[in-house]
Amino acid sequence: MSESKKRILEMLAQKKISTDEAYRLLDALETGERGQGSTAKASTTVKEKPKYLRVMVLPDPESEHPENVDRVNVRVPMSLIRAGVKLTALIPPEARDKVNGALREKGIDFDVRNLKPEDLEELIEALEDLEVDVVGSKGEKVKVSVEY
Amino acid sequence: MNRPPVLMHLRIQKEERGFDLWLPLFLLLLLALVVFIIVSPLMVIAILVLWPSGRGRTIILIIRAAFQTLWSMRGLKVDVHSGPRCMYFTVV
Repeated sequence: MSESKKRILEMLAQKKISTDEAYRLLDALETGERGQGSTAKASTTVKEKPKYLRVMVLPDPESEHPENVDRVNVRVPMSLIRAGVKLTALIPPEARDKVNGALREKGIDFDVRNLKPEDLEELIEALEDLEVDVVGSKGEKVKVSVEY
Repeated sequence: MNRPPVLMHLRIQKEERGFDLWLPLFLLLLLALVVFIIVSPLMVIAILVLWPSGRGRTIILIIRAAFQTLWSMRGLKVDVHSGPRCMYFTVV
């Protein structure tokens, strides 16, 4: 029995609510649970796991010589990212400190030790519904998205 | 589980000069498998010797991570253009 149902029955026993109210509350609770279950099932069947992370740097279309501008198109399999994150656990502590120091020099205050597979999964999940679109100082467009 | 990569294509172009390389990974993987089978008894001994110091476990983790990384490389594509220079790398 769920906590909510127990609480409703306790309230009924303490005569804080009537039998009619208790019945209605239990009914509403059951309907809600059933609804939640069906939506969760639907989302699992519809939602597909992303396969790739795509990073693109496109030149400014209005630039005078677009052929001389840098262009980047990188497609990284998600499984490779996951494997890479697992590899961070094998970095010796001295090397980790050096990496953290180098990142700090570049103005990035990040500890590589904090990078965990669970965090990555969260980030990937967030990227499923999001597309990062940044315009650089030279007008170049940076796009980060996931592909299925 | 992912299928292992079969081919690797690397192209580097620097103005007029450049090179194109197709690497048959399926052949290299077969070669690596043979080497792995030959070396595995030595690796087992090394793992057992180093186990008390804690490095034996690290060796196992490294081997596992190396296989995982290699196996998940399929689909990787890097295409970088910088003016007349370009670098293209893909794993099929």
